[in-house]
Amino acid sequence: MRPVLVGIVTALVLSAAIFLGSRGLHNFDSALAPYAIASVFLAFGIAYRYTVWISSPGARRLFRKGWGAALSWQNLRRTPTALPRMIATYLGFQKFLGARSRARWAAHQLIFWGCLLAAAITFPLTWGWFTFTANTGAGPQYTMNIWGFPVVGFNALSVLGWLLFHGLDIAAVLVIAGATYFLIRRMRDREASTGQRFGYDLVPLLALIIISVTGLLLTFSSVALHGGGYEFLAVLHMAAVVLTLLYLPFGKFFHIAQRPAAVGMQLFKYTEHGEIRRCRNCGEPIDTTAYVDNLRATMRDLKLDFDAMAEVCPRCKRLRRGQAYRTTVKPGF
Amino acid sequence: MMGRTIVIDPGRCIGCQACVSACRECDSHRGKSMIHLDYLDQGASVASSPTVCMHCEDPVAPCAQVCPAEAILVTPDGVVHDADKSRCIGCGNCVSACPMGVPKIDLEAKLQFKCNLCYDRTSYGLAPMCATVCPTGSIFYGTLEELRTERPGVEVASTFDFDGSIISTGVAMVVPRGRPVDEPLPGGAGEHARVTGSPQPAGHLEPSADNVLGDPL
Ligand code: HEM
Ligand code: SF4
Ligand code: SF4
Repeated sequence: MRPVLVGIVTALVLSAAIFLGSRGLHNFDSALAPYAIASVFLAFGIAYRYTVWISSPGARRLFRKGWGAALSWQNLRRTPTALPRMIATYLGFQKFLGARSRARWAAHQLIFWGCLLAAAITFPLTWGWFTFTANTGAGPQYTMNIWGFPVVGFNALSVLGWLLFHGLDIAAVLVIAGATYFLIRRMRDREASTGQRFGYDLVPLLALIIISVTGLLLTFSSVALHGGGYEFLAVLHMAAVVLTLLYLPFGKFFHIAQRPAAVGMQLFKYTEHGEIRRCRNCGEPIDTTAYVDNLRATMRDLKLDFDAMAEVCPRCKRLRRGQAYRTTVKPGF
Repeated sequence: MMGRTIVIDPGRCIGCQACVSACRECDSHRGKSMIHLDYLDQGASVASSPTVCMHCEDPVAPCAQVCPAEAILVTPDGVVHDADKSRCIGCGNCVSACPMGVPKIDLEAKLQFKCNLCYDRTSYGLAPMCATVCPTGSIFYGTLEELRTERPGVEVASTFDFDGSIISTGVAMVVPRGRPVDEPLPGGAGEHARVTGSPQPAGHLEPSADNVLGDPL
């Protein structure tokens, strides 16, 4: 019940923001309405899925501790740069992916920045938040308005103008390159294809490629074909986008919403206390004290009563079990 | 215990590390060995013991239960998979919660790795790498009937006792004949195992990866 409520409230908040930002739907482009409606469903889906996710013990505890660490004054004073640095290197540039392989890092960066660029352009447009008005009848001088307030004036024939009008084409090229790399990897590389599932692993890549290709074809149609096939392509593109937005919270794309938890986890683990819990058997460090205590509490929530084992390092767990087998099960093998 | 599964007999292990090398060839974690080979009471004994993921059945996969990112999938065939690469945040919950000492973390890549019963092979009916190369049969793969045609009358156990908590597993261990079959194997909770030198000189992740601390992001 709670996830549904949270979802509905989020969807209502977004609807209100769309209404206000488009000046009471005055600036709302009804041709783009299906996109805007899909984004409201997306808001519902993400909020719903997120609430379901953080109601499991492990995620709930980390969610609280992570936000606690992120919003703590003490942490901010002690390590003021920790949060912004992690947001940039981890969430933005995903440096850790480079340790898996440079190509995977590069391909993911292409997808990430491409999708970010596309989202930054399209969401405000479909919500009626951005509008363009021609200063004189047919241009080339335009003014870009946000929430109805004029923000920048630009020449449609200038570089800035070209970028503004072709941002989506650039985004499509980036996304196609990245997604194609991952798709080929999924067909050729058994590291990726072992246990892969069509709906979970392949659909996201195919969706990105279909959206980007139909988007580029729209530009191609208007530039080279005098709008030939435009109507058909527009419907195809819209269908692909709407379905993808509806699917987003329930498949692999949900990692976009889930991943920031890593920042909270690291802030909690490293900035909170700094005390280290050591293996009860050999004294090797296991993890920070706060983190091990948090895990033991999670295990008790889950009725995993062997939580004291969390204070023994992996090697000593194995040595102890092996030793017990050697002394009591098959003595002296 | 799963239908076709791994059965481990530490008594047969000669510590040759063939399994460690073979595991490194597995396609889903190429170049990294997931099997653990531990020398027990080194110096006083030549005993050694291989550890693969036991694919815990009840309680089902504690590693997956404590994972805050829903990253560890348990398929209907009972296989507990390695972490989903887009979800795992490298937090280390699974490493510290696993009572058997199985998962590892690559701290640079922020990614957990663990034995997935060579899913690239077993899902096609092939035996896992380690069982294929083990020269002594210490790591066997197959059904209980197949094991018994090779070793008539052999008994196995697949429950463990961790200080009163019982865990039943998909992977089994050989036990001496005559031992009560439903008596759980000791988890070793009270043992004071002597720490041995360096059990895995080759193909092991960096020593620091055995725990879950590293540089912040
Ligand atoms: C616009 C936002 C994003 C999009 C559209 C996106 C899309 C994708 C896609 C399609 C994959 C699957 C690649 C494959 O088939 O293997 C993927 C993988 C992944 N994503 Fe994202 N992602 C986004 C943001 C992020 C962020 C912010 C992070 C974390 C900091 C992240 C971390 C990952 C990781 C770790 C993988 C696994 C990559 C691998 O190991 O090969 N993603 N992403
Ligand atoms: S042995 Fe450890 S890694 Fe394997 S299923 Fe059990 S808890 Fe998970
Ligand atoms: S390290 Fe990865 S797989 Fe393990 S508990 Fe954390 S998020 Fe889950």
